[in-house]
Amino acid sequence: MSGKKQILDVQHIHMRFNSKGVCVRAVTDVSFTVDEGETIGIVGESGCGKTTLGRCIVRAYEPSEGEVLYTAGDGETVNFTKIDPKTMKKYRKEIQMIFQDPYSSLDPRMTVYDIIKEPLLANFPKMPKAEMDQRIMDIAAKVGLNTSYLMRYPHAFSGGQRQRIGIARALVLNPRVIVCDESVSALDVSIQAQVINLLHDLQKEFALTYLFISHDLSVVEYISDKVGVMYLGKLVEYAPTKDLFSRPMHPYTESLLSAVPVADPTQQMERIPLEGEIPNPANPPTGCYFHTRCRYCKQQCKETAPEYKELEPGHFIACHRAEELKLKGFQYDD
Amino acid sequence: MENEARQNDTIIQVKDLKVNIKTDDGILTAVRGVDFEIRKGETLGLVGESGCGKSLTSKAILGINDKKCSAEGEIIFDADGLGRTDLLKLKPRGDEIRSVRGKQISMIFQEPMVAFSPMYTIGNQINEATLLHITKDKKKSKEISLGVMKKVGIANAEKRYDQYPHEFSGGMLQRALIAMALVCNPKLLIADEPTTALDVTIQAQILELMKELQKDFGMSILFITHDLGTVARMCDRVAVMYLGRIVESATALEIFKNPQHPYTKGLIGSVHKIGTKNQEKLFSIEGTVPLALNLPAGCGFYERCTQRIEGVCNAYDPTLVQVGEDHQVACFACTGCPKGGACGGRGKEGGKDE
Repeated sequence: MSGKKQILDVQHIHMRFNSKGVCVRAVTDVSFTVDEGETIGIVGESGCGKTTLGRCIVRAYEPSEGEVLYTAGDGETVNFTKIDPKTMKKYRKEIQMIFQDPYSSLDPRMTVYDIIKEPLLANFPKMPKAEMDQRIMDIAAKVGLNTSYLMRYPHAFSGGQRQRIGIARALVLNPRVIVCDESVSALDVSIQAQVINLLHDLQKEFALTYLFISHDLSVVEYISDKVGVMYLGKLVEYAPTKDLFSRPMHPYTESLLSAVPVADPTQQMERIPLEGEIPNPANPPTGCYFHTRCRYCKQQCKETAPEYKELEPGHFIACHRAEELKLKGFQYDD
Repeated sequence: MENEARQNDTIIQVKDLKVNIKTDDGILTAVRGVDFEIRKGETLGLVGESGCGKSLTSKAILGINDKKCSAEGEIIFDADGLGRTDLLKLKPRGDEIRSVRGKQISMIFQEPMVAFSPMYTIGNQINEATLLHITKDKKKSKEISLGVMKKVGIANAEKRYDQYPHEFSGGMLQRALIAMALVCNPKLLIADEPTTALDVTIQAQILELMKELQKDFGMSILFITHDLGTVARMCDRVAVMYLGRIVESATALEIFKNPQHPYTKGLIGSVHKIGTKNQEKLFSIEGTVPLALNLPAGCGFYERCTQRIEGVCNAYDPTLVQVGEDHQVACFACTGCPKGGACGGRGKEGGKDE
């Protein structure tokens, strides 16, 4: 990875929520790094903490422990978890979020124009109106919105169009990092493809870095350079996309991959069933969190938690038996 | 002869079904003449994007559409006790349809959280169907319900029976919903996006469960979805719907191997297959689904089609034409011009690279 600049360095992030005296560990000890211009996919089942992780990184949540080191556009490295809110505001412009539901993430009482303008007003209150107009028009055209419709309200737009509004709102500040939290999950397949292509084009044009959170593994495989798999708040595997999908090294990744529906009736993978359900994150199992559902579980797994370590260059796994197991993944054409 | 055998084999036949919705802007024909049939023990996938009328079609079969909707056409169901009957001719609140609805044809809804009432226990809600259709004896009814709950893989069924929906996880609740649909041993199960709200691992579990139960109960399934991956896993035959019409229908193998209609090709092309070389771009169908109000003449897909033939596709309405064994397409670019030869017969192959 020479020549690439690191943009995010997430170090031992923990996020705990207290609810009625019970401590829920939503994210436990997650560390990874992101280079500039990369797309990182985060996958996992619902409740595994992927959204919480995304929110910790944009500092919508204050992580309970850990550090998020961000290398800003001016070359300075800042620690998001340590700086005061005023300084944070300076960097917030550079890191934006696109949300899951294009219906509830837009205020129905604001026109599209106002929705896209709001981040500009908040961050550049002194910007002249003409310049603001220009930026809104430019970005709306760029994401494929018909600029003559900007004075309409969100209800007049279809799901795909609304998601474009959300993308325009995130892009209008010229961010460097965008956290996409299930941004295409609510869309129909043909529209999904349009939005993914749009995200791809925008990435090339603006050298954006994406953190792409999704439960849809085929979309993640398509869009990401590296993929992290989360289970019960922990990152269990993190590797370059092709490595992870062709040679998974964590048993959870293996069964997740085997469950992906493939749009080809002649090519169905043999499914590796996961027994039982996700344990309660307020009361996680001892040892390896996955051992209750793992078919390769040994005594050691029940007692000690595996270390999260780099077994091959760029391939991180948290599993005692990662080296000895031969796990099945997808076959690649080439 | 063969025709008759096939007749006996089909469990439901939908003929020229139209569903009209009264709106403030006039009457909207959301389903514009749909024909299909389902044979015994078969799974038919009804595929299409939101708004194409697939849910309306399924609800029309049960007669549970909104009051604003009215259905025309024929839905001939091979009902026990009634013989072959047109369900649309039955009174929507009459005894006859009620002997079919929920008993012989039942439905699994998309969101299990919404489909259950939060006010009653799961057992109570599953029992409702048993008490109505099978037995008046409460003890016996509970036994039947518990049996089905066990069958769909709900562990600890006795305890779960008295729990409320909020105590169930999404996957478990979907299982309970399946139990509720299966408790009367239906001949036809309509599954409306049964796994869309679930995680992939749970989705795989539920799909496998449905397949297994289908074998045990010998029922037919109408599987409604927009996810081509689940279609490939579940269905024997597939009907692709666009704008209230079926535009292509074939066996599942054929649909994926040899899609004909530009829309089907687009749908398949826009799903990325893991392991294939990363194309520069995903294939995407330009534009959006037009509103079904005041549709222009000709093919509904004309505006978005890559193979459209001007003067033909926007002038005539394509109908389903046989192009192979058990394979029908409604597209002039595939089947030739309605006027005979003017457009050069079959369209170009391999819509993906266009």
